[in-house]
Amino acid sequence: MSAVNSTATGSPSGSIYDLGYRHYEGKHLGRGYALWSLSVESFRSVWGFGRPTRAKAAPFIIAGLYAMLAGLQLAFSSTIATEIQSGYSVQLLTYDSYYRQFDFFMILFCVAQAPELVCRDQRYQVLPLYFTRALSRLDYAVAKLAALTSALFVALIVPMIALFVGDVLMKPDTLAAIGDEWPKALPALPACLLVAIGMASISLALSSFSPRRAYAAIGLVAYFLLMEVVPAAIYAVGHGGQVNWAWSDDLLLLAPTTTLASAVNWFFGTALDSSLPSTLSRGDFLVAAIASAVVFSAILLLRYRRISA
Amino acid sequence: MALIETAGLTKDYGPVKALDRLDLAVEPGIIGLVGANGAGKSTLIKILLGLVPPTSGRATVLSMDVSNEARDIRKVVGYMPEHDCLPPDVGATEFVTHMARISGLPRTAARERTAEVLRHVGLYEERYRQIGGYSTGMKQRVKLAQALAHDPKLLLLDEPTNGLDPTGRDEMLDLIKRTGTGFGISVVVASHLLGEIEQVCSFLLAIDAGHLLRAAPISTFTQHTPVLAVEVEEGADRLTAALVGRGFRARQDEACVLLALEDERLYDAVRDAIADLGLALVRIQQERRRLEEIFRDAAPVAGSAP
Repeated sequence: MSAVNSTATGSPSGSIYDLGYRHYEGKHLGRGYALWSLSVESFRSVWGFGRPTRAKAAPFIIAGLYAMLAGLQLAFSSTIATEIQSGYSVQLLTYDSYYRQFDFFMILFCVAQAPELVCRDQRYQVLPLYFTRALSRLDYAVAKLAALTSALFVALIVPMIALFVGDVLMKPDTLAAIGDEWPKALPALPACLLVAIGMASISLALSSFSPRRAYAAIGLVAYFLLMEVVPAAIYAVGHGGQVNWAWSDDLLLLAPTTTLASAVNWFFGTALDSSLPSTLSRGDFLVAAIASAVVFSAILLLRYRRISA
Repeated sequence: MALIETAGLTKDYGPVKALDRLDLAVEPGIIGLVGANGAGKSTLIKILLGLVPPTSGRATVLSMDVSNEARDIRKVVGYMPEHDCLPPDVGATEFVTHMARISGLPRTAARERTAEVLRHVGLYEERYRQIGGYSTGMKQRVKLAQALAHDPKLLLLDEPTNGLDPTGRDEMLDLIKRTGTGFGISVVVASHLLGEIEQVCSFLLAIDAGHLLRAAPISTFTQHTPVLAVEVEEGADRLTAALVGRGFRARQDEACVLLALEDERLYDAVRDAIADLGLALVRIQQERRRLEEIFRDAAPVAGSAP
């Protein structure tokens, strides 16, 4: 290269392999590619890929615990499969109630990983670097939402697959069992997607208001806990015999995980949890779950529209 | 093609006017943007990038309007912010590669570019280590590298020597000069340190309180009208008055009288005036006109408007 370029590194020991600064002649891909790149990178960071090992611990342990009971049922059913010939099946865990029973782990997953996605860039002031590139502010929020939604979807769908495999293996004729079982398991796909969007939108919207992970995590715990407990307590008082508050039924639609777990019943067409009032239908919970996802996604987008950079 | 043009550019932050009807026209080159803290340098840069919308007026970068072509501007502009902007728990290579991809470079191209720009800014083996363990000088290099990753036509550098020691500062300025002169990349360097601007820039924009003070090639600031400083023990005010009375441009600065050295007869006039007034002379010294003085000269110079 020319004399100008050979001095370009400032290194006194500039080697002949050093070509210095060169212009980039290749392609510049657009906004869609930037959005995709950020989504993939964020998805990887939720699971701790490309980070030190300790960053992988929390997501994998929590997701592992969530899937563990389905895994146990799988192990159990596959060992006893040969002894069950009469079509009788052991089914302790079902597709439609799994999330309701173990939603605690998914809340934990959100509390541990959602602040990581949005607080870091605020705390270390990386946002201006994003907003001066191909990406717009809204693209950034959308990419983060897509990343956490898909990460949650993976965590949610793994035990569903384990349940499905377990159910299939319990039958003597595997091929026929797959044919019988898959229509029963299929609603798990849209159900898990709704739960994932619902939890991701709440977690990111709330986390995006604090540059500090710890505060965001506390906020999430408080939201998920209080919004479950308070409506349930008011409902309990309202039907305790002293008073009769019919309106307290509707408050249960505000409880985030109860609403999502009950919306899952809509996809499977199964009965709601017996503790819920008969005045509320599966459809009510579905609408409430979708409304919550829309509202919190909107809050997230508005937050990034206004955030200073 | 003009690099940057603004017309009536105004930005209010509540009651504070960060920019007040700023009119500029700048040609490509290395441009120093100088002003005290709070003069509006960062605000101007952020408006040019489309990070902050102007309250009124318009601005163009490479003939693209900031209000409706911001996306196209960002493709050809690299930005190095004033503040820290690096996450501590990733390596420089990983971070710059990520930023190159966000700028639209395909994965392999992003990796190659990252290796090249990190070498260009002088980061070698340490580029795989986590940024949190870097010195301030290394962090500034990474910040410059990420701004160069997508091969911009214009670099906007906001206080690039912030927090650097004298050696680090010289290296950074040298790097900026090489980047700006050898490769056809225009650079805007915002700084409150005039010495830095003098070292690297070919053109100077001086702003103060949101107004343009001066816009001219750097040589016109430093070469024209050297200054003669005359220090006397007391009576500087009388000496000033006497010299002004003889038709010289003089201004008192504490015990000194600063004179525009436009005429050889000035020396004689100073001698005579001091002798007439019976003052005790401490020193007579020719000073190169310093850039600081443009901030003391209140009136903006004509010809700065486009």
